[in-house]
Amino acid sequence: MSSSEAVRCRGLVRRFGEREALGGVDLDVGEGELVLLTGPNGAGKTTLLRVLATVLRPTGGRAAVFGSELPRSANPARRLLGYAGHEPLLYPLLTAAENLRLYAALQGVDEAAVGPALERVGLARRATDRVSNLSRGMRQRLSLARATLHGPRLLLLDEPVSGLDEEGRGVLRSLLGENGVTALVATHEPQWFAPMPARVVTLRDGRVQG
Amino acid sequence: MTRAVLALVRKDLLLELRGREVVPAMVTFVLASFVLFRFALGGDRLGGGVRAATGLLWVAVVFTAMLGLTRAFAQEREHGIWDGLLATPVDRAAVWLAKACSTFVFLVAMQAVALPLFWLFFLQEGDGPSIPVLIGALVLADAGIASLGAMLAGLASASHAREVLLPVLFLPFAVPLVLVGVQVSVATISPQTSALDTLQRLGFLGLYATIFALLGWALFEYVVED
Amino acid sequence: MAISSQSAGLDRGTLAAAAAAVLMPTALAMIFFYVPTDVDQGYSQRIFYFHVPIAITTYVLFAWGAVNAVRYLLSRDASLDLKSYVPMHLGVIFGSLTLITGSIWAKASWGVWWYWGSTQLNTFLIIFLFYCAYFMLRFSVDDGEKRATYSAVYALLGVGLIPVSVLAVRVSQELIHPITFNENGANMDGSMFLTFLVSLAAMLLLAVSMYCVEMRGKRLDERLRHIRRLAEATR
Repeated sequence: MSSSEAVRCRGLVRRFGEREALGGVDLDVGEGELVLLTGPNGAGKTTLLRVLATVLRPTGGRAAVFGSELPRSANPARRLLGYAGHEPLLYPLLTAAENLRLYAALQGVDEAAVGPALERVGLARRATDRVSNLSRGMRQRLSLARATLHGPRLLLLDEPVSGLDEEGRGVLRSLLGENGVTALVATHEPQWFAPMPARVVTLRDGRVQG
Repeated sequence: MTRAVLALVRKDLLLELRGREVVPAMVTFVLASFVLFRFALGGDRLGGGVRAATGLLWVAVVFTAMLGLTRAFAQEREHGIWDGLLATPVDRAAVWLAKACSTFVFLVAMQAVALPLFWLFFLQEGDGPSIPVLIGALVLADAGIASLGAMLAGLASASHAREVLLPVLFLPFAVPLVLVGVQVSVATISPQTSALDTLQRLGFLGLYATIFALLGWALFEYVVED
Repeated sequence: MAISSQSAGLDRGTLAAAAAAVLMPTALAMIFFYVPTDVDQGYSQRIFYFHVPIAITTYVLFAWGAVNAVRYLLSRDASLDLKSYVPMHLGVIFGSLTLITGSIWAKASWGVWWYWGSTQLNTFLIIFLFYCAYFMLRFSVDDGEKRATYSAVYALLGVGLIPVSVLAVRVSQELIHPITFNENGANMDGSMFLTFLVSLAAMLLLAVSMYCVEMRGKRLDERLRHIRRLAEATR
């Protein structure tokens, strides 16, 4: 398996009890590519992202991130990917900085990375504010900071545009434009990404269309 | 990994300090239990004596611990934070260890209030169990409850009826604990109990904690992965 | 030697059931007619030949369930989940019988319907509680890999519970009852030992045949569900 492929799925299946959320997905994402995942609600976009983020185990088929097969070699993959889901995945009662410091410890990254990460998303002045006191747009920005704290090569973003404020949109654009970064983004607004070169993949009923 | 464990424990302690969800509830619960027990045992004069009261202390400790444990992974669940944690390369056993450590701290904090209250309510009328032994036994038992509890809290999370399920899952394991905890405490009321017997029973409590710590360490990754 | 049939499961189950059908009446006959009456406890001591073999069978079932739980966690083979669950299920049945016969034996030996001084009985009570909790867990989680994984994990926690229970009861012996009692006389003469063995074999074979029957039923269930899933997928 060549590692210049960021993501490689063959016949990926994921079941929840009787329900099949992914019914055999084939997908390749090359390094440096931006791939937009579209499709109606319930198509399996979130599930696919969560499987690739190693949060869910595949029920069948194969999936690999930078050559690391999931779920067997999940840990090497985790160091290389950053996942931002629907929820900001932050503790409301902790401050912005405290949240990032926790994730820095979990990622094995120096705490010194927290300050620059907050600056990059424009939240340096809100570092000591509790997340529950931040606006939705700020929380989304902080979530992006959390996901990119360890300098991942692959971004897995689930509906990142919704809820972002003006400053946040700028941050997202710059994150996606960064050198060599690969991104798989689930979105209902593919047109928003228009200025950036991107490939669109449509999911329906757990399968890739076309 | 030490860094991750410390960071997670710090997170739990900070959340409790700011949220005040778990420890106050446990303290209130154990206090109410003592009042109930006092009246159940005879109000005016302690019917059944100190032995019965000591037994009930252990029962109260177990039930209070279970109350606290139902909130063990509440934050992660309610805000979907599991996805965030599991997407990092953090050792799953570290997540268990951190939760066991913070649970241990909360239990000790609760007992720091409960034990003086117990002394006040029940030990004013004659000989009581040896306090140092009681404290030692409780601390060791807390380690066992925290180890096992962190595991079971994870298991119970999957169900909608988790508040009911957790006690059900825990109680069979609580029986040996209460059995020996009561025995080691009550035996010290009479001066004839040999130190060796007491040490043996305390040793059992330590063994209990060790066995379930090892099992928790080994098995927690299966509990969190989906 | 084996009768040819369509599936190996059918084979083993039929053999076990046949053997049990032979051994059970034999055991019963030996218990009631062959073995001499116990000097100390009289005729009602014969319950021992039911109680202990059933108890041993329960432990064997538990061990078998636990072994398959480990195998499931290592391989994620769904059939192993079933192979772990069914013995645990049978363990509840045999466990209940153990408690009932244990109670009868307590009445016969000590005049009370439960003897709290018995290490065996108390350890068993704790294990039985654990079995019941195992089922509560199983009922509370939806079918699928999660339920199988959680059942396996809890079963393994239960394995830790066994030595803990035995030790706990022994270490707190004084509290429960000052008299230590030697229940299982190590000195059984030839006929008693033979009867015991026959009864044990009969109980184990009964467990095996019940296992095969239940497995077959559950496998059919699985196959039906699979077919239904396929039918829906192609619609």
